[in-house]
Amino acid sequence: MMKFKNLQPIPAKRREDMPNSKLGITFKQWKAKKPNKNKWRNKRWAVLVFFNFLFWASFTFDIGILEGSLSGSRFFGIYLMDPYNALQEMFISSRTGYYAMLTTNFFIGFFVILMFYFLMGGRTFCSWLCPYHFLAENAEKLHNYLVKKKKIKEHSYNIGIKYIFWVGFLLLAFFTKTLVFETINPVGIISRAIIYGPGLLVLWVVALLLFEIVYSKRFWCRYVCPIGVTYSVLKKVSPVGVQFDLSKCGHCRDCQDVCLVPHELWFVKRGEATKEIHATGADCTNCGLCVDICYGDALKLTVKGFDKIT
Amino acid sequence: MGKSKSDINRRNFLKNSAVAVVALGAVGVGANYLKKLNIENSKTLLRPPGAVNEDEFVYACIKCGLCVQICPIEAIKLAGIKDGLSYGTPYIDPREQACDFSCDAMQCIETCPTSALDFIPFKKAGETAFVAYQKANSTPGKNYNPIAIQSKAMKAHTKMGLAVINHKTCFARNGKGFKGAPRETGFEGVYRSPNPKRKERKATAVNDHQFNREICDLCVTECPIGETAIVMEEKTRENGEVFSRPMIKDGCTGCGVCVMVCPSTPDTIIIEKLETA
Repeated sequence: MMKFKNLQPIPAKRREDMPNSKLGITFKQWKAKKPNKNKWRNKRWAVLVFFNFLFWASFTFDIGILEGSLSGSRFFGIYLMDPYNALQEMFISSRTGYYAMLTTNFFIGFFVILMFYFLMGGRTFCSWLCPYHFLAENAEKLHNYLVKKKKIKEHSYNIGIKYIFWVGFLLLAFFTKTLVFETINPVGIISRAIIYGPGLLVLWVVALLLFEIVYSKRFWCRYVCPIGVTYSVLKKVSPVGVQFDLSKCGHCRDCQDVCLVPHELWFVKRGEATKEIHATGADCTNCGLCVDICYGDALKLTVKGFDKIT
Repeated sequence: MGKSKSDINRRNFLKNSAVAVVALGAVGVGANYLKKLNIENSKTLLRPPGAVNEDEFVYACIKCGLCVQICPIEAIKLAGIKDGLSYGTPYIDPREQACDFSCDAMQCIETCPTSALDFIPFKKAGETAFVAYQKANSTPGKNYNPIAIQSKAMKAHTKMGLAVINHKTCFARNGKGFKGAPRETGFEGVYRSPNPKRKERKATAVNDHQFNREICDLCVTECPIGETAIVMEEKTRENGEVFSRPMIKDGCTGCGVCVMVCPSTPDTIIIEKLETA
């Protein structure tokens, strides 16, 4: 693959030598190998619903545990700040020369979030907290179903354009001196709709979801969302992530079927892996769907280097 | 040379990028257009205390809603889609629920993480007042309360706007009195009465207060700032007829309590935003 051009793939084993391959067993036996299929998904949805509920409950019942919304909040008094919003603010103030808004709390929020998602694996935010992801994930299932039934065609684009959007929205903020992205940001819109009650802009989110269902799978998350890109930069250096063990893999590629960002699991294809141990790249959201479906425990959510200590 | 996989990839990327750039350009032009509209429209949106200039406010506010959450009387609301780029930014509708300073500490300003509501001038005003008090009173008196001194100075520093009274519909100006609850039944607005007899620690419903005035002066007596903001003036016409009218002074903070308690028609008192808030 393009990422490891200089590395030669490890020659593939014979199917008879692979552990956990589908060879010689019935489909039923195959399924029975891994009974608890939705362990990580259930945990993840529970966390996602819990924190979004906490946002709502903090305001509605005035308990003040997690105040604010996903664009800026306070968790037990510690400020948290959406990193892409923070970057835009810095860009704008560098243009206008008005620095008063870059307060101490602003930087506390910015760095606490950066530190936290560095430790938690960057795009973990997407699948474990983002309410739009929750909707889009289920919309994706519907989309896949429609594609399978041949009702619609799949349209995909180059995933690199999200970097164009990332730079572009920053430049737009710089030139128009407004938080352009925050106005159309479905994450903020849904978060505010949950906490303060829905407004008309929810229609924009519905339109996006419809577009994703009938035209292009996960359009916003894959090709546009600059918040995700910001977190994916953290993911590059983060110790947390999904680890792939070639010696346990049977190359059934069921994981790539369920994966929300299949290009990150390129190494599961037979004869593609270049190392015995691979880690997923920047776009992996640590959702754990592949971990759940893996029949041979070849995929694991791990902290890098942690297994060497214990 | 044949087309390799990476060649096709690159071409694909460039093609898609071109579309992305066009889309971004469209969003940018749209945003700029909306912003121009927005600065006009938002002159009618009354911002919470301590809001910086509208030009700065539009980008300094990250629409998190922390000010909404901390307000004890829920005076602050978030703007809807009809306000364009101001979508999600906080505003106050004084006729529905005015800011009555019953928080005493201007938490909405203090809580703002990006200083769209700028706390520093308020902090300075509070400290200056405290220092001035200490100079004037070398031995603190019985009612010495440093928090109250700073709180009062901070309230007075607020400049959300300026109340403007339409004397044509004003009850007092037309010599009318007023009896009963100030607002229509079902009105949910609350405020803390400045009347020392009530000794309210928390805000109570506007309609819990019953009034009986020969000449209506609710806007004057219920003002949380007091006589530096609004007074009742007695005037004599040329023909000897005496009439009174409420007059707004420089100390008016634009909090809008007078707007909320006014029993007359809705637009008898309005809050006008200042050119430089």
